[in-house]
Amino acid sequence: MSRYSVTIDGHEFDIEMEYRSDHMVATVNGRERLVRVHKLQETRALLVIDHLSHEVDIQATGDGGRKIVFMQGTEIPVAIEDYNLAQMRKAAGIGSEEEVDTVFVAPMPGLIVEIKVAPGDTVTAGQPLVVVEAMKMENILKAKGTATVKAVRIAAGQSVEKGEPLIEFE
Amino acid sequence: MIKPIKKILVANRGEIAVRVIRACHDLGIVSVAICSDCDRTAYHARLADEWYHIGGSPSSESYLNQDRVMQAVKDSGADAVHPGYGFLAENATFAQRCVDEGITFIGPRPETIRGLGDKLVAREMAIKANLPVVPGTDMGADNPDEALAFAKKIGFPVLVKAAAGGGGKGMRVVESADLFQEALDSASREAKSAFGDGRVFIEKYLVRPRHVEIQILCDTHGNHLHLCERECSIQRRHQKVIEEAPSPIMTDELRERMGTAAVSIAREAGYVGAGTVEFLVDQNRSFYFLEVNTRLQVEHPVTELVTGVDLVKEQVAVAEGRELTLRQEDIRLNGHAIECRIYAEDPSGGFMPSTGTLEHYRLPAGPGVRVDSGVLVWSEIPIYYDPMIAKLCTWGRDRTEAIARMQRALSEYRISGVESTVGFHQVVLANKKFIAGDLSTGFLQEEYPDSNYRTFSPELAEDAAIAAAVDKLLNERRITISQSGNGRSRSSGWVRHHRRENVKRLGGKH
Repeated sequence: MSRYSVTIDGHEFDIEMEYRSDHMVATVNGRERLVRVHKLQETRALLVIDHLSHEVDIQATGDGGRKIVFMQGTEIPVAIEDYNLAQMRKAAGIGSEEEVDTVFVAPMPGLIVEIKVAPGDTVTAGQPLVVVEAMKMENILKAKGTATVKAVRIAAGQSVEKGEPLIEFE
Repeated sequence: MIKPIKKILVANRGEIAVRVIRACHDLGIVSVAICSDCDRTAYHARLADEWYHIGGSPSSESYLNQDRVMQAVKDSGADAVHPGYGFLAENATFAQRCVDEGITFIGPRPETIRGLGDKLVAREMAIKANLPVVPGTDMGADNPDEALAFAKKIGFPVLVKAAAGGGGKGMRVVESADLFQEALDSASREAKSAFGDGRVFIEKYLVRPRHVEIQILCDTHGNHLHLCERECSIQRRHQKVIEEAPSPIMTDELRERMGTAAVSIAREAGYVGAGTVEFLVDQNRSFYFLEVNTRLQVEHPVTELVTGVDLVKEQVAVAEGRELTLRQEDIRLNGHAIECRIYAEDPSGGFMPSTGTLEHYRLPAGPGVRVDSGVLVWSEIPIYYDPMIAKLCTWGRDRTEAIARMQRALSEYRISGVESTVGFHQVVLANKKFIAGDLSTGFLQEEYPDSNYRTFSPELAEDAAIAAAVDKLLNERRITISQSGNGRSRSSGWVRHHRRENVKRLGGKH
């Protein structure tokens, strides 16, 4: 039996998965749901949960337990981890990895037009950091919270790939 | 004089190239596609009769490069060019070059494009044709102090707009004087980069206006008519994302007045072909001239759905020198149509473009559904161009039916591999104000100030959580199996599960 802790949009689900003869049983927060899986393609399956039909496609987003579940025409970001690990992590008072973000990465590929901060600057949430041109549009990338700039890793005129580090915070 | 067109080079890519190629096929005209490096196997390049590679992926080396496009026109022996929208569609120099080389440019005359394409000249023309305009000035980046003084006089918020602009590029709303200089600079810079012309001007920013535009169609014989309105108030970053026809606020009387106004500026400009006269309509149903778009608009399908007129075919007929067979009294509205623009963008991340491969792509269908898609499954969404991948339109007898069909069609749409605006549209189409037709250009900012468009039901969230758990469970089993077995397995959890199910059916045990 496997037990997972799944977080979606701030809601936590405690899910125990169990194989039965020709199906699985998912016990979600104490309630049993009957699950049948029919594979369609590599990352896609028809999932029948208590006879509710869902075509799902699950894509990893790059970092460990984060996935995007595509279902009913909606993209649902999901964080999943082993239930026991999640409990230990919480007991130790460690947040999930996203709270210790000190590197600001490019959310999309593009051309750096302007850098609005320098090392030593203290920025607050919403303050413009970098202007990136992508698909002929200027996008102003803003700080997500209060932080002090440690290093600027890019220069104006430079092309960046998605996920490339732009600015390091202390 | 009628000059029949035999072969059209479509100087564009994506869904609009596909749209024009389809019209060519309908008309029995040979179609020529041009493509850049990254578009060699793009849908438009596969669909056309002829294929010409014209250069590198950046649009400056291909779709925006007049020399390369003209070379393909000569090499293919095309006698006409359809520019679609964007790229060279509103470039008067290119249109003139076609004329000079004896090639039919499917669009207005070069001098019309030049005049109306300059928003300042267009404004003058509108005033001359007695159209109401929004208070504004032509003072811009070269005279920032006077511009600021004017902005203070008409009162913030003001709108900074590129004279050569379009599609929301080079446009900024400025809420207060301290933000004015930065907006002026960045709008000017963006305009320079996008259009090669950094001139900007300032307009009073109307509060909660609706964007309503009139489709016009004119021939070379002096016939000018309008094909009623489209409402395009749902915008993000001044770019339309949902359009519909007719407008929920329209009355016969207002339509008559706006239609007449649109036709008068078309006459004043000596307009030829299809075009759009854009207006803002305020809370009192007063309307103000905004600009004329001298091209086929992205949202033209909603007009086609409610009028039954094929606008691209009409454009070709006008370009051949034919007289319009339609008269104003023939234009009748039938039902209601809505368009949702499907972008490869992350709606919750400020509509940042999302690039990648469409690992799964399935289009909706069924009664009242039209999809103009520029991509196929496994298409790459390149970083070089506009991230719109398709336009999903629905038609219904009335607005309620069109909305219901749109909700159904959106739920059928399957896109994975890139983020898309399908989920965003589902949220907006379910919004009570949207359903009530209570729209304004500030709709999205007002209704979704934190850009959170991911409001799914708790039931859906729970089922998604189960899906993630099933996926993880199957993947963990895979690792166990592959470690004890014959090396690494590339098959996913789903595949392994499926195999196991088959083994069971054959009498195996697990």
